[in-house]
Amino acid sequence: MNKIDEQDRETKRTDVAEQGPLADSTEEPKAAPVTAPVADDDANAEPSAANAEAKEREESHAEPRSNETAKKNAADALPIGARVSAWAKRNVDHLIGAGIGLVYVLWLLGTARNLGFSRDEGFYFSASSEYERWFKLLFSTPGKAFERSAIDQIWAANHEHPSLVKSLFALSHQFLWGKWKIFEDQSTAFRFPGMVFMGLALWITYLFGARAFSRRAGIMAAILLGLMPNVFYHAHLACFDVPIMAMWIACIFTYWCAEKKGGLGWALAAGVMYGLTLETKHNAWMLPGVFLPHALLIHGRAMATETSKTARLPIPASLLAMATVGPAVFLLLWPWLWNDTLPRIQEYVNFHLHHDYYNIEFLGVTYFGPPSPKSYMPVMIAATVPTVTLVLFAVGAIDRLRVLVARLFTWAGTALERTFSWPKEAPPNDPVQTDVLLFLSLAVPLAVFLLPRTPIFGGTKHWITAYPALAIFAGRGFDLVATRIEALLREKTTWGDAKRRWVVALVGAFTCLAPFVVTRHSHPFGLSAYVPFFGGTAGGADLGLNRQFWGFTTQSLDPWFRENTKPGDTVYIMDTAWQSWQRMIDEKRIPPWLRGVGSPAEAEISIVHHEQHINEVDYNIWTEYGTTAPEYVLTHDGVPIVSVYRRPPGLQRGRARNR
Amino acid sequence: MTAAAKPKEKARQTRAGWLLCAVPLVGLAELVLHMKQTSSDVVPESDWTVAREIVKAELQPDDLILFEPFWTDPLGRRTFGELATMKRSGRSDERRFPRAFEVSIRGAHNTDLAGWKKLKETKAGTITVTLLENPSFTKVIDDTLDLVNPERLSVSRVDDGVEQPCTFQRGSSQGGSTVVPQGLLVPADKFVCQGGHVGVAVLHGLDHHPHVCMYATPMQGASLRMKFSNVTFGSSLHGHSGIQWLVERTPTPDKVAVTFSAFDRLIGTHHHKVGVGWVGFELPTAEIDGKKGDLVAEIAPSSQRQFCFEATTRREVSR
Repeated sequence: MNKIDEQDRETKRTDVAEQGPLADSTEEPKAAPVTAPVADDDANAEPSAANAEAKEREESHAEPRSNETAKKNAADALPIGARVSAWAKRNVDHLIGAGIGLVYVLWLLGTARNLGFSRDEGFYFSASSEYERWFKLLFSTPGKAFERSAIDQIWAANHEHPSLVKSLFALSHQFLWGKWKIFEDQSTAFRFPGMVFMGLALWITYLFGARAFSRRAGIMAAILLGLMPNVFYHAHLACFDVPIMAMWIACIFTYWCAEKKGGLGWALAAGVMYGLTLETKHNAWMLPGVFLPHALLIHGRAMATETSKTARLPIPASLLAMATVGPAVFLLLWPWLWNDTLPRIQEYVNFHLHHDYYNIEFLGVTYFGPPSPKSYMPVMIAATVPTVTLVLFAVGAIDRLRVLVARLFTWAGTALERTFSWPKEAPPNDPVQTDVLLFLSLAVPLAVFLLPRTPIFGGTKHWITAYPALAIFAGRGFDLVATRIEALLREKTTWGDAKRRWVVALVGAFTCLAPFVVTRHSHPFGLSAYVPFFGGTAGGADLGLNRQFWGFTTQSLDPWFRENTKPGDTVYIMDTAWQSWQRMIDEKRIPPWLRGVGSPAEAEISIVHHEQHINEVDYNIWTEYGTTAPEYVLTHDGVPIVSVYRRPPGLQRGRARNR
Repeated sequence: MTAAAKPKEKARQTRAGWLLCAVPLVGLAELVLHMKQTSSDVVPESDWTVAREIVKAELQPDDLILFEPFWTDPLGRRTFGELATMKRSGRSDERRFPRAFEVSIRGAHNTDLAGWKKLKETKAGTITVTLLENPSFTKVIDDTLDLVNPERLSVSRVDDGVEQPCTFQRGSSQGGSTVVPQGLLVPADKFVCQGGHVGVAVLHGLDHHPHVCMYATPMQGASLRMKFSNVTFGSSLHGHSGIQWLVERTPTPDKVAVTFSAFDRLIGTHHHKVGVGWVGFELPTAEIDGKKGDLVAEIAPSSQRQFCFEATTRREVSR
């Protein structure tokens, strides 16, 4: 260890001790609150990897400002290699998190070409192309771009959703496809920001897990979040679901940092981040449900005391920033709201408050309106999130609930001046109540789906914002499992630390194997995939769970189209959006010689995407073609996804035969 | 903690420790299941072909073929081709079939065939082909769906007793779009009236199953009269009716009434209540059993446009 490191360690200990939970863990390594395992025998065990790592993290994250300049000057004197090494050591968590995110984005890019376009992607391609016009105008003649006529004409497109993500789609398309030609497919350029958001989600999930629990928990959390078939599917799309998942956890993480570290800078960062989250998707309006109870919990007493003394209500800076800077950022980044602001906001709110209910199948019943089944969310989570991930989540969540309850008992004991038989030792204090924050960030998006009026047509994507917290608890669960395994290995073998660490790493890889294999196999039918304990894709079909929505599977017919169609053949495109069909043709994802048409009557070939409520289309095709027999059925694990009918040769339209 | 409690606590912790260590095994079980579900559980195309040949070898014209679970229906229809006729795949009911071939995977069975007698069971790889006999078979003598052509059917609009004939047209179907729901496709071949039509279509029933039927649009302010000629009657007139599933799933007090008559005598009226789904009715015709004559079906005025029905003359067959 060099001199600078030694200096850092000294100063950081001082700094950390002022910060709360992590500081406690430095002073009391055996009773580390959020970083150390809570089981009694763990406390007696030799310092675990998690404890050592927590110490290292504290050293690398808690930078005392007073020493920064001196340190910088000393660091400048070092050779470049040592400086890079020191920088990497200081930023090791960011490097790990970003590394996981990068690998995942590369995986998404490598598989994007296989995945067709859903209906909503088609609409967003179209809206983003409009916005791109505006950006071109902005870069060429900024004055014109800010004229009302330009704004209203261009930003009217798809104004039921905020503009940030679609603007990123537009800019990505403009530069990464149009100008720099990095991507061959226009669609990949449109989709790329969504993929980067997924990378960001993994990065932040890792950081949160690593800083709240351990680096091992963070790594597992990020990996397990990425290895969910539904998440993997949505991460490919030029849509808002994965971006809002990323921004949801990023906003909560920023708020957590603001609460932990204090200062105007972090508070403003929380405000800006909340504004960006509002500008991503309307799920952000639920975030006060996370922040307000949490802030009340950690500041409530101080606020009450202050209010009684001064008759003024002190509001935490981060909340104040989110309530002021947040909406300002929201307005500033959405040109559609620059004119007729209030009526347009009202229109936006009304659109989502009175959104149409679309059809969705659940346990053999097609739901189309309230009341939504309360079991939908829990069953769908159990059916789509790999079971080992859910078991790890249960382990981690129960552990943290145990700590929370222990804290409650300790607090009650103190308040009532009583001694309870449990807990034997007071759990470590956590002034920022990280566990409560994580539980809120999990519970708030899920709780909405227990309300009878919440539409369920989006399947799992509408509560996707809960998944980072779920994954963080799963990471914590793995941490406990790994600690137990390490303890057993210490007890039963004479293996050294390194060997034991390898075993734990192998167990980690082994634990992730099933989620990886299941996720990889699900592509490009991510929405049809159900976890093996639910019987896989066929099990989902047996149970009457939704198999897909919004026609993205059309592209998977490409090999059949190429073999079995000829130039000029007309195809009834069914649930495929016209924009999606056109993009698939443009990018030669399906044979460019096909001509899409809007009804079976006009088509030589008709397709039907298998969903219960779409059976009507299937039967209408029978009426039109006079046959019940599809020529081809696209399947995933033997389950029909799309049926393809061909008008029988020589059969006049509508002449029923074969009755 | 007392000295006695300590070993107990230790044992509890050890158990909990082992349990935690076993968590990764959940992943292993998941992996093994996944491997099975994506390989040996997937029915190969060849099994479907073998199943078709098994059925084809013994199939009689009146036999039913069905595929279970219902989600395999497209796969079955694809492989069985012309054997999966409209009347089999879009059947009104099971009673009209003397026997049924149930082609099933994953141990699934059709509950409507629960009381049927199993005659034979054959394996085609992962597929089970079961031949069953219907204990309450009612033989179809004449099926009005077969009579929807200008030679056997005349359709008219009746306004205050005044009949206005509807013409038979061979044209294009109407309906279909890239949004759902779309409603019943108006068939290309149909009788066209002022404000209505009659043609054979396939209804998506409230049960989400297909039902071949006459898409006969009730009219507001006028009745729709259909006269099927030269029909042979049996002991009863069986029929089924339904309205487009989207309409049916929101029940209302509305009804559609269809009145059947023959030899200038009333056979009976069936009232289809919105919300009941695909429903059957049976009207006795014992007094005209064996006779041949015109069957008249008249749909009373109604605002329910997407009405579809079928009717057959039948006779019970004792087994």
